[in-house]
Amino acid sequence: MIMAASQRARNSELKQSETWKRHIIRQLKYRNRTQTSVFQDLIESYHSLLEKSKQRALITKGILGSGSRPSLSEDSLTSLKTTTGELAYQVVELQQRIQLKEVTLDEQHTKLYEVQNHLSVLASEHSVLQERVAEVQTRNRLLKQEYDSLLEQHQNMERTYRQEKLRSSEILDNMIGPKQQAAVRMNHRNEKRVREASLHKELQMAASKNVNINEESGKVSPPKPSSPKSDSSQRLERSHGPLFRSASATSPRIISSIRGLFERKMRGKSVCRSEEDLYIPLGVCLVARVPTKAIFTVDAHELGINAVRFSTSSNLLATGGTDRVIKLWGIEAGTLQNRGTLDGSNEGITSIEFDPTGTRILAASYDKSALFWRLEDSVPKVTLTGHSRKVTAARFKYSQRQVVTGSADRTVKIWDLQRAACIQTIEVLSFCSDVVCSEYLIISSHYDRKIRFWDSRAGTCTQEVPLQGRVTSLDLCPNHRQLLSCSRDDILQLVDLRKSNDRVAFR
Amino acid sequence: MADDKDVLRDVWFGRIPACFTLSPEETTEREAEPYYLLLPRVSYLTLVTDKVKKHFLRVMKAEDVEEMWFEYEGTPLKWHYPIGVLFDLHASNTALPWNVSVHFKNFPEHDLLHCPSNSVIEAHFMSCIKEADALKHKSQVINDMQKKDHKQLWMGLQNDKFDQFWAMNRKLMEYPINEGGFRYIPFRIYQTMSDRPFIQKLFRPVSPEGHALTLGDLLKELFPAAICVEDEPKRFQVMIHGIEPLLETPIQWLSEHLSHPDNFLHISIIPAPRGCGDCRSVLQTTHS
Repeated sequence: MIMAASQRARNSELKQSETWKRHIIRQLKYRNRTQTSVFQDLIESYHSLLEKSKQRALITKGILGSGSRPSLSEDSLTSLKTTTGELAYQVVELQQRIQLKEVTLDEQHTKLYEVQNHLSVLASEHSVLQERVAEVQTRNRLLKQEYDSLLEQHQNMERTYRQEKLRSSEILDNMIGPKQQAAVRMNHRNEKRVREASLHKELQMAASKNVNINEESGKVSPPKPSSPKSDSSQRLERSHGPLFRSASATSPRIISSIRGLFERKMRGKSVCRSEEDLYIPLGVCLVARVPTKAIFTVDAHELGINAVRFSTSSNLLATGGTDRVIKLWGIEAGTLQNRGTLDGSNEGITSIEFDPTGTRILAASYDKSALFWRLEDSVPKVTLTGHSRKVTAARFKYSQRQVVTGSADRTVKIWDLQRAACIQTIEVLSFCSDVVCSEYLIISSHYDRKIRFWDSRAGTCTQEVPLQGRVTSLDLCPNHRQLLSCSRDDILQLVDLRKSNDRVAFR
Repeated sequence: MADDKDVLRDVWFGRIPACFTLSPEETTEREAEPYYLLLPRVSYLTLVTDKVKKHFLRVMKAEDVEEMWFEYEGTPLKWHYPIGVLFDLHASNTALPWNVSVHFKNFPEHDLLHCPSNSVIEAHFMSCIKEADALKHKSQVINDMQKKDHKQLWMGLQNDKFDQFWAMNRKLMEYPINEGGFRYIPFRIYQTMSDRPFIQKLFRPVSPEGHALTLGDLLKELFPAAICVEDEPKRFQVMIHGIEPLLETPIQWLSEHLSHPDNFLHISIIPAPRGCGDCRSVLQTTHS
C-alpha cells in the first residue's frame, strides 16, 4: 500500500515537474518556429544570393580588373585553417587522453595481479594458521584431562592425610593423658615436701628461740655426768663415757644411745660462737657416769640410723641413716619433736656434723659425696663430689670455710666450700673410716689399725699411731688435747696429743 | 533527461533573424543594402557581425570608418550583453526580423564599451564564467580547470560548437550530491526602464528547510511586481531565451539548462503588451 502510494506520489511529482518542463520545451519549440525557422530558409537563400552576386561582381571585376580570387580562397582558406587548427588541437587532446587512460589501465592491471597474488598467499597462510589452531586446541584438551585426573588424586591424598592427622592427634591425646596425671601426682608430692619444708622452717624458728642457754659443743659430747640444767658446769678434760659415735650401728643400739643422750643432756649457759671463733667452750664436767635409762624413745627413721648429732648451739638433734634423709629433732619437755627433714642424698648418710653456729649441717654419704645444708633449706646448698667411693666422714675445718672428707677410696680431700671444689687430696693409703681435724692437724682413722696425723698445710703424715683393731671412729676433745678412738677390738683408746704417746685404753 | 539535452540544444541553437541597415547618418558611396543575418541568441554582437562589417565597408570610404556600433530604435546596443538578452529586452514583441541600425561614427562613449578585438570579448566572456562559478562553486571548479579547458569553452562559443563547449561546461553545471544545488544562483534581471543596469543578488536555490526554490520565489524576493495575482491583468513578462517559463519552474534547473554560455541566467522583465491578458492567458497560450 505504502509502496504504491509513494510510486503514485513520485509519478505525480514527475508529472508536476514535467508540466513546467513540458511548458518550457513547448515554448522553445514555439519560439523557434516563430522566430527562427520562418526566416532561416529565407536568410540562407538570401545569403547564397548575396554570395553569388558578390562572386559575379568579383568575376566581372576580375575580368575587368585584376583578379581578386585569392580573396575568395582566402576566406575559405582561413576558415579551413581555423577548422584544421581546431581539429588538430582536438586530435592532440584526444591522443593525450588516450595515453593517460592506457597508462592507468596498465597500472590497474598490475595492481590487480599483485592483489591476486597477495590474496593467494594470505589464503595459504590462513589455512596453515587454522591447522595450528586445531593442533593447539587438541593439546589443550589433553592437558586439561591430565589436570583433572591429577586434581582427583590430589583430593584423595588430602582426605587420607586428614584422616591420618585425626588419628595421630587421638593417639597423642591418649599418650599425654596419663603423663599429665603423673605430672599432677608429682606436683602434689612436691607441694607436700614444700609444705613440710616450710613446717621445718617454722620449727627451726621456734627451736632457735629456745636455744640460748646451751653449753654443748657441736659434737655429741659424752654426757656430763651430773650437772642439772641451770648449773654452769665445767667439763672435765676427759669427757668420756660409753657414748660414742659408731660408724655402723643397728637400731637397738642407736636407740639406746639416744636414750642415754637425753638422760645426760646438760643445760647450761651457752656461749654463742661465730664460725671463725676459736673459742673453746668452758664446759665443766661435774659428774660422769654411764647412762642406764632411756628417757624418751622415738622411731626416727624407716631404715637404719647411722649418725646422730647434737647441734652446738641449739636443742636440735640431727639423725641420718640409710633412708637417705636427715631428720631434725627438737627436745621439748623431755620428748623429741620432729622439726624437719633434709633430703638430697642419693644414698645413705654416714655421718653428720653441725657447724659451730648450729645453722648448717654437713653430711657424708654413701653416694660418694658430701652434702652441705643450711637448716632453712631442705635441699642441699652445696654438694661436694669427687670421691670414688663412699664418703665416711665430713668435717668442717676450723679456720676457713673448708671441709675435710675422708673416704673409703683411701683419700682425704680438703674442699673449699664456697667454690665447692677440692683443694687438696691426701693419699691416706687405707680405708679411712673417720676424720677429725684441728687447726693444723687432720687425724684420720683407718682399717689398717692405724691412726694417722696429717699436716693440713703440707699434706704429709706426721705421725702414725698403731692400734690393735680396726679403728672405726674418732673423737677429739674440745680443747684439742685428747683424742678418743674406738676400734673393733672393743677398746677405747685415749691419746694425749701433746705427749702423743701417752695412751690410756678402756676395755 | 533526453528532454534536458534537447532543451540545451534548443537553447544553444536559438537564432534571431536580424536585418542590419546602415544608419542614414553614415555617408556612403553607394546605397547600402540591408544585410540579413540569423544571429545566435547566445553569442555577442561584435563576435558574429564580421560579415556585416565587411558588407557595409564595401560601400563606405575607409577614412569614415571608426568602430562599428549598433543601435535599435535609438538605444545603443551593448555588445557585452548576449544577443538574445538584447532582443528579448528591446524587441521581443515587435515584428521580426529585428531591425538593427549600424553606425560607424559617433561612438557613444557613455553608453557602450569599446571592443577593439575578439580578445576583449573573450576576456569579458571568461570573466562572466568565472563570476558565475564563484557564485556557484566558490570558484573551485573553474580554478581546477586548466587554461586549455578555458580556451575550449571560448572556442566552443566562438565557433558555435555545442559539443566542444558542453564537454567543458557540464563540469560547471555539477554540484555536490549532499547539497540541493549550487551555492548561489548566478542570475541577472534586466529591465528596460531602470537606472540600474541589472539586478544581481545572492540567492540560494534551496530553502533553509530543504525545498527547491522556484522562479516565483526568486521574483517574489527581487521583483515582486512581476508576479501577477489572479484576475489581475499581467503587467510584466518574465523572459528567458525568448520564452516565459512557468513560475513554479525550479530555479536550480533553470540555472543548469537555461543559462547562457557565460553560465548566467539572464532574465528580462519587460512590460506586458496590451492584449496579453491576465494570468490565465499564460495557460491558454501554452495549449494553443
